[in-house]
Amino acid sequence: MKFFADLWRICKDDKAALVGGIVIVIYLLVAIIGPTVTQVGYVKNPNLAYLPPSLKYPLGTDFLGDSVLSEIIVGTRPIMEVGLAAAVMVVFVGVVVGLASGYLGGAVDQVVMRITDVFLTIPGLPLVIVIASIIRTTNPLALAGILSIAGWAGLARAVRSQALSLRTSDFVDAAKVQGLPLRNMVARQLLPNVGPYVAIHFLLAVTDAIYAEVGLYLLGVAPISGTNWGIMINLALSQGALYTSQSALYLFSPMLAIVFLQVALVYFSRAMDRLFNPRLRVQ
Amino acid sequence: MVSFLVKRLVLAVVTIYIVITLTFFMIRLMPGNAMSYLQSQLSAQGGLTTQQIATRVQEAYGIQTTNALWQQYLSYVGNAFRFNFGTSIINPGQTVLSVVAGALPWTLLIVGLALLISFVIGVVVGTLIAAYPQSLLSKIATGVVSFLAAVPNYVVALVLIYVIADRDHLLPSSGPYSLTTTPGWNPAFIGSVLQHAILPVLSYVIVAFGSWALTMKGSVSTILGADYVRTGEAWGLSRWRVTRSYIGRNAMLPMVTNLGLSLGYMFGGSVFIETFFVYPGLGYYLIQSVNERDYPVMMGCFILITVAVVLSNLIVDLVYPLVDPRIMSPGRAKRAGLTVSGLAAENQTPDPLERSAA
Repeated sequence: MKFFADLWRICKDDKAALVGGIVIVIYLLVAIIGPTVTQVGYVKNPNLAYLPPSLKYPLGTDFLGDSVLSEIIVGTRPIMEVGLAAAVMVVFVGVVVGLASGYLGGAVDQVVMRITDVFLTIPGLPLVIVIASIIRTTNPLALAGILSIAGWAGLARAVRSQALSLRTSDFVDAAKVQGLPLRNMVARQLLPNVGPYVAIHFLLAVTDAIYAEVGLYLLGVAPISGTNWGIMINLALSQGALYTSQSALYLFSPMLAIVFLQVALVYFSRAMDRLFNPRLRVQ
Repeated sequence: MVSFLVKRLVLAVVTIYIVITLTFFMIRLMPGNAMSYLQSQLSAQGGLTTQQIATRVQEAYGIQTTNALWQQYLSYVGNAFRFNFGTSIINPGQTVLSVVAGALPWTLLIVGLALLISFVIGVVVGTLIAAYPQSLLSKIATGVVSFLAAVPNYVVALVLIYVIADRDHLLPSSGPYSLTTTPGWNPAFIGSVLQHAILPVLSYVIVAFGSWALTMKGSVSTILGADYVRTGEAWGLSRWRVTRSYIGRNAMLPMVTNLGLSLGYMFGGSVFIETFFVYPGLGYYLIQSVNERDYPVMMGCFILITVAVVLSNLIVDLVYPLVDPRIMSPGRAKRAGLTVSGLAAENQTPDPLERSAA
């Protein structure tokens, strides 16, 4: 509970972070309850295409006569699902690899860190695109797995360096002397100390995954089926939205949806940074 | 000194080797892999004997399917290191090498210009924000900069195309140069190339300069309170001297370290920017070949993008000792609190708010 009290205190102080946090909660709610409130894909009435904004269609309609707002709402869930799943995978692999490498040290550490170096160097997005183009999956978990392939290396490095310094710290020595089991060692001694990195990296991993995920749909690398923001932009572009002004809302609404979410995540991660980093809090 | 360079060189070669192995795996072994796709496509067309299909597949990928797997692997790796990436499936006469070799300079031009411009702007803006942290302008600038750093580059590119290029035709938004000019070292052509580069470069810069500025700001802020800066001031050194030699040089270290990380991000971003601006670089051909399922070209583009990133990283690593001489002598590095490979030590605790290179 102290965690949330601290978080609230910092957010009260940093309005940008507070707004970021609220926006994230709104997106999560939309992702959870949105599809039950509104549906898309049943209209298909060309007479309703490209209607200007109205009370019934606050953001106008697309080329098939569907409400753009409904599409944004329905499209939130697949994006958030895959983004969160990918971030969970990134954090899991990063923490496990980093802790193991730093704590075990020696040859294991050497080998693992060289592999991490390689993954840090390979440009992530092209790798993801190449793999996605061969696998061509619509399964959200598989897509999340592909997206997480490039992201874990940075966290693994950060966690490893923490683990390295923890290994020689007094409280870890004390735990060793007491003969505590490895489970306790990892869960009670090591994890709480790498927590800050993990929390912040989780938020940034979500932004990276969503950036890449929307990008895959945008470029048509991931199969176009269903409704999400990337597919909306892709369809808008292929309908020539760049060259007419009547479909501007159709093109730019999903882009705004992404921008708001990304900015909110980054601003909120700043509050997390302050929460875990007392030196920053004093300033 | 020598061991540092050797280590970096070995890492570069190993990375390229691993990427080539990875592409072999994807072409040959992954479920739904590229070679079986081509085989089934060719046999579905009909009219070809098994032998002919095997020849076509070998032409495209340079792999003899009848050989043992390890032989296929060895010949693939050997070919790749000799820049033989097979031929295009869509345009059978064209070698992959000719496609990627023609594309590389355009990507290097755009990414290079964007990196240079965003780096310089980022250093200046970041330093100014850190120097006057309490001023209103600094606070606004921090907000704007961290906002821009969070916006995806494809959004920026599409907005630029929509607002500047297509509505008012202020600047060209597609192609590398105007077709009315003749390629060569003539002013009309160079002018046209630069004009066509403005919007793609701008798309990169708008997104990238923000994170440079944030890194620089963080770096300068920590150094401003350092003992040696106060010592310099106490000595009565001129403000300019303190700023340049005491603050500037030290503040640049994280910036140079981050160069390596952001290179992958920049080259990766080329897939969006080059596709939307129809700019014939590696990213454009990568997406083009993905959509046409021209896997040999796709793999060639991917390998070359990686090689470009690895070599640029190598250059950064070679330049780094000039900025931070401690790397070269492990003894001094240890006293300064760095581990033996200074780069790795600097990398270990990256600014968590810095966008990772995914």
